[in-house]
Amino acid sequence: MFTEGQAVSLTDILTSKEVRSARQTKFQAAYPDQVICAVKLNIPGNVKTNAAIVNIFVDGWHNILATLNQDGYHVQHTVQYRELATGPEGFIIVDGSLSVVKKVMIELETHLPLGRLFDIDVMTQGNATQLSRQALGFSARKCLVCEQDAKVCAKTQAHTYPEILAVIEHRYQQHFHATDWDQTHAVNFAQKGLLYEVSLNPKPGLVDPASTGAHHDMDVFTFIDSSLALGPYFNTAYQAGFNFNEADLTQLFAQLRQHGMEAETAMFTATNGVNTHKGAIFSLGILLGATGYCYRHQLTTLTHLQATVKAMLATLITTDFQGLTTKATLTAGEQQFLKYQVTGIRGEAAAGYPTVFGLALPQLQKTTGTLPQRLLDTLMYIAGNTRDSNLIKRAGELEILTEMHAWTQQYFDLGGSKTAEGMAFLHQLDDQFKERNLSLGGSADLLILTIYTGLLTTMI
Amino acid sequence: MEIKETAMAGTLESSDIQIMLSAGTNGYEFELESDVAKQFGDQIKATITNVLEAYDIQNAKISVVDKGALDLVIKARALTAVQRALGIVDTPNWEVM
Repeated sequence: MFTEGQAVSLTDILTSKEVRSARQTKFQAAYPDQVICAVKLNIPGNVKTNAAIVNIFVDGWHNILATLNQDGYHVQHTVQYRELATGPEGFIIVDGSLSVVKKVMIELETHLPLGRLFDIDVMTQGNATQLSRQALGFSARKCLVCEQDAKVCAKTQAHTYPEILAVIEHRYQQHFHATDWDQTHAVNFAQKGLLYEVSLNPKPGLVDPASTGAHHDMDVFTFIDSSLALGPYFNTAYQAGFNFNEADLTQLFAQLRQHGMEAETAMFTATNGVNTHKGAIFSLGILLGATGYCYRHQLTTLTHLQATVKAMLATLITTDFQGLTTKATLTAGEQQFLKYQVTGIRGEAAAGYPTVFGLALPQLQKTTGTLPQRLLDTLMYIAGNTRDSNLIKRAGELEILTEMHAWTQQYFDLGGSKTAEGMAFLHQLDDQFKERNLSLGGSADLLILTIYTGLLTTMI
Repeated sequence: MEIKETAMAGTLESSDIQIMLSAGTNGYEFELESDVAKQFGDQIKATITNVLEAYDIQNAKISVVDKGALDLVIKARALTAVQRALGIVDTPNWEVM
């Protein structure tokens, strides 16, 4: 993983250090009252950049800025050079005192998941020498492989190059969960998403093993049949992304839509014509395609996954909602767009699933307890924070969203899935949903996607 | 060979070494700063000495700040410092890079 790419010579590397040092001096002159941090990686070997290496850099860069921001440091200026053959690097210019900022950077180098791969030099105008770790009371930097002083191991070449690379690769895999993004895992996670969701109970109005909710034409077995019928589609969707070689990712989505239509046929065959997973076919297909694409390009982070989805769906809203008024038969989502201007799952998807990545996943990460407890709390959180088009359709009015929000609030006020009161309320809500013929199909779909992405990042 | 002008090569980044050469009168006069001077000070000096001897330099003041550089880096930096000190190469103008 780290040996693929353009090799650079020792001269290139040494020159890059002098260039960086000169840049630093320039920044010191331009920002005499600020602290200049030079951020770069310390990957051994003569390949200093490739997708995985840039990945590490970008991930760490965001973490550094987030930490500075969180700790109240004012960042004056940043500049990145991601395309250098000698490896990505950047400068962060921040208000503060040299020793305090240096301490922050040492902490980051020590505690960031891949911090050991970073070298952050901190300098300021008028200080010719760099503050050392030891001068600030920190111990010398430890070797990547063993617990010795890193400088001693480097000088004596205590470890072989393959040995060091193996450690880096292992840490990379651990951090980015790269192996969990291969086809076998991803398809497995998609099916788990479907099966976990239907197994979860009690869910307001939805099908679960104990109840068919507000549905009269399906039960848990219909969902099992449907889930298994989608296996081949999930594999195909992943492969489509993995094998996609063109620049325009909207073409990948066009391919996936074709496969999705075939999957709908497979679903209807398995369920005798009942729509169990139409929404999940659409969204999981997109996510699996994006996962395959990201895995192939060694971009196994949620940030990349979301960016890939957005690029795939760049033209979705304009193409799908254009000319609807003249279309003969409309889907539920299309009808609602015309009636309420709600863009539904298409809008959510095209925006890169902000409900999943921005709300549901952080919520899932926060939840505690057993898996079903965590998933129930996540489902209710989603239901209270989204415009569930299935709920709107069944209620026939947008006001239902206000009610839903209040119900969710009450559920969490009662303590959610981990209290008897919270669970009693959920049962009661389920009864009410059945009575009023309401369901949470849209939220259930988003829960499936949250489970899928949660499994990809080992949150579950 | 005599050193014509004070010259420097290398940086203070980790895994690098900064070597400054200036004219001397009394053989090689080293001033070495390194976190690992105890274990590797002699080795660092020996590497630089080899380069100076190869250029037939008899006298020099050598100021060294080592940041854990490998031997081949020390050698390369010493070479550049010598060439710059002897005016064999143009000192690069980093401002334009």
